[in-house]
Amino acid sequence: MVGNSSALWAIAMMAGIVYLTRLSGYFVGLQLRHIRGIQPVLEALPGCAFMAILVPAVRQGNPSEILAMICVILIMWRSNNVVLATGTGMAVLLFAGPYLGSL
Amino acid sequence: MTTSKSALHGIRTSGDYFISTFLFGVMFGIAAVSVGLETWQALLMCATSFTASGQFAALEFWAAPLPFGTIALSVALVSSRNLLLGMSMTHHFDGHSLGRRVVWLALLNDPGVVNSFRMDAEIDRLGYVTGYGVSMMISWLLSTWIGLNIAHLVASFDLGAIDFAGPLVIATMMMLFFKGSTSKPTPWIVSGVVALALFEIGAANYLILLGSVLSGMVVAILQTRRNEASTNGG
Repeated sequence: MVGNSSALWAIAMMAGIVYLTRLSGYFVGLQLRHIRGIQPVLEALPGCAFMAILVPAVRQGNPSEILAMICVILIMWRSNNVVLATGTGMAVLLFAGPYLGSL
Repeated sequence: MTTSKSALHGIRTSGDYFISTFLFGVMFGIAAVSVGLETWQALLMCATSFTASGQFAALEFWAAPLPFGTIALSVALVSSRNLLLGMSMTHHFDGHSLGRRVVWLALLNDPGVVNSFRMDAEIDRLGYVTGYGVSMMISWLLSTWIGLNIAHLVASFDLGAIDFAGPLVIATMMMLFFKGSTSKPTPWIVSGVVALALFEIGAANYLILLGSVLSGMVVAILQTRRNEASTNGG
């Protein structure tokens, strides 16, 4: 069992780290903004980070996870409906997992 | 559009991700109970850190004595994409006092940033992202509280099947980026290819992120220069 004081310190530390990452990115950007043509480069960065998370996750995914990802991409492509896409993906994970897991 | 109206617009347009976040909050509440976090601790963590991935990472190591260094490192690594989110907003938070920007950046959030790029130019993006963040925070706190209270009911369910929910939500944001972008998606495609290559050679997660983002950045710079050259030439 983690003591209250340890837990409080850990929570404070986490909050500080996360806040610093949010703050420092913006202020690093402010130092770079005078560079000509930098805006589209900075705006492309979150997408690059998303790809760095997504690609390895899909590569090591099992068949139901890959099927769920395909469903999400297709639904988003057709409708931009985040709830429908996520809900369908989750349903595939929950209900197709037992059948596809052994493939 | 004024800051307050933009914030309200952020709240109004956050419905989709409010629901997605809600799901993660319930899962976090259930996971928090399983590692022995007390209700006030879990809610305090949600209110101050406000990061699903970072909080789940911390739970992995939540046992006495707390390994502070390990928790700090893992939270920093999974939160590193916030650096990039902040950088992408560099040109969009102008016109506000430094104090306001410093305080409101605490609510910087992925779906708010992604959706802000799809909004009209006249919207105040700091207001929009903050309004979106307020909505996400309400969803995150409420759903965690529910998760904490229903944990005893779902203890027998295997939540492992929905571990992949995180990448699915990121995929929805990536699709919004792809469809809403006015420039070619080459930097993101190159990032994905580099991420795959680094994964295949067994690189650590932070190296995959670093290599992937750097390569995407280089391609974005080349793309911008080529566009400028063609504009000047034409």
